[in-house]
Amino acid sequence: MALLEVKGLVKRFGDRTVLKDIDFSLEEGETKVIMGPSGCGKSTLLRCLNRLIDPDEGQILFRGEDVTRVGTDVRLLRQRIGFVFQQFALYRHLTALENVTLALRKLKGLSGREADEKALLELRRMDMETHRAKYPAQLSGGQKQRIAIARALAMDPAVLFFDEPTSALDPEMSREVVALINRLRFEGVTMLCVTHDVFLARYVTAQVIFMDAGEIRAEDAPERLLSGHHDARIREFFGNSGGSDA
Amino acid sequence: MLELTGFSRELVAYGPQLLEGLWKTLILAGSVSLSGLVGGILVFGLTLSHQPMVRRVTDAWVSFFIGMPLLVLLFLVYYGFPQWGIRLSPFEVAFWGFTLNVSAYNARYLTTAYRSLDAAELEAADAQGFGHWQIFLWIILPQVLRLSVPALTNQVILNLKDSSIAFLIQYTEFFAQVQELAAQNFRFFQAYVMAGLVYLGLVSVIVLAARRLEARVILPGLER
Ligand SMILES: Nc1ncnc2c1ncn2[C@@H]1O[C@H](COP(=O)(O)OP(=O)(O)OP(=O)(O)O)[C@@H](O)[C@H]1O
Ligand SMILES: [Mg+2]
Repeated sequence: MALLEVKGLVKRFGDRTVLKDIDFSLEEGETKVIMGPSGCGKSTLLRCLNRLIDPDEGQILFRGEDVTRVGTDVRLLRQRIGFVFQQFALYRHLTALENVTLALRKLKGLSGREADEKALLELRRMDMETHRAKYPAQLSGGQKQRIAIARALAMDPAVLFFDEPTSALDPEMSREVVALINRLRFEGVTMLCVTHDVFLARYVTAQVIFMDAGEIRAEDAPERLLSGHHDARIREFFGNSGGSDA
Repeated sequence: MLELTGFSRELVAYGPQLLEGLWKTLILAGSVSLSGLVGGILVFGLTLSHQPMVRRVTDAWVSFFIGMPLLVLLFLVYYGFPQWGIRLSPFEVAFWGFTLNVSAYNARYLTTAYRSLDAAELEAADAQGFGHWQIFLWIILPQVLRLSVPALTNQVILNLKDSSIAFLIQYTEFFAQVQELAAQNFRFFQAYVMAGLVYLGLVSVIVLAARRLEARVILPGLER
């Protein structure tokens, strides 16, 4: 059974249809990358999947269970989906460690000590343990993003969502974060990653979903999608992006 | 010089009443600062409700008590309510009148601070699975309170100074006692200068305390 199976998903804002009949699936342990021009609906899709936005039509099967049904515990669903944002979105009044422990204590009900232990484990995994007492304002972009990933991983999510995790980073830090995501992939973490970063798509060598104007236009391996694709629209997109940011 | 010695002798003689007045000033200003803070947090919390009706009523409530001059409110309750059989002591009237007024202002300060929060952080909290009130308690409140320290402590200073209008509803706080002293010996100038100095001294204490508090709780990254 797929971890995530999306069938006929539609989202409208007013009379604009932003997602048109989206179908795809994500297996346990699999990583997929979503790419496509600005405004094509990538962020909206991610937010529909964890119900930050309510879709208008279609089904989202999470381990076989339709989470678009009324009566779905959306807060529980969100706790099982780690979300990493472009702008890091760390809680600025909390230290790195507290950023990771807050949900462990308040949502998982761990004691202070248990939460600290778990959080330190995740910070170590992200090579950020020495920065545990620092506040977000005292960290670089790359460090903040690693704390954000630790915060998401600490909840032992079934899947990690990334919404352009490297777009706010300079090239060097961006490569660090890409390497990290790649490591998680080999550790078997299930991931869905929206990005404009061709380097990320190539490096992680995950299946790429190409979206355009609210539709999935193609789904293929990066080496086949990123150069000389038979679809002119896709060739144009990756050609114009010049192998860097779109 | 002789004048002043004469005045200081009267000060000593009138000392107990002045001290009692000062005490009542501090009690009123202190208690409404506390109740106004708690009330302000509650009202601010209601302005963030998911229920549009609750939000609308709360917004109207805040606008009403900010628009209503405090003195009119105090007179209304003190002189108007007895018509309906509701008789409250001067302290009770002052306490509730100030509390309504101050909590409306404090709620506004907190709302202003809320607007400066990072929307991405609040979305992240949503995405983590926190509930509405959990986000309020652990993400929003700790930040808006810290951001509002200057405005909230300034309100404490206003509470201290404004408490003097409570003498108009027969609450014999410090200023009422100073009036009494001045009226007895006609040394208005000395009496009011003395009163001004006392308020100035108290305000200075609050300002110093506020600065230390702000330095302690300021959000990391916003230090000057
Ligand atoms: N809350 C909203 N109300 C109305 N329109 C919206 C809303 N959110 C997004 N949109 C519109 O939906 C479309 C898709 O937006 P979305 O943010 O999903 O695009 P995206 O693919 O993530 O783009 P980018 O690469 O720039 O992040 C855009 O045209 C956007 O203007
Ligand atoms: Mg986006």
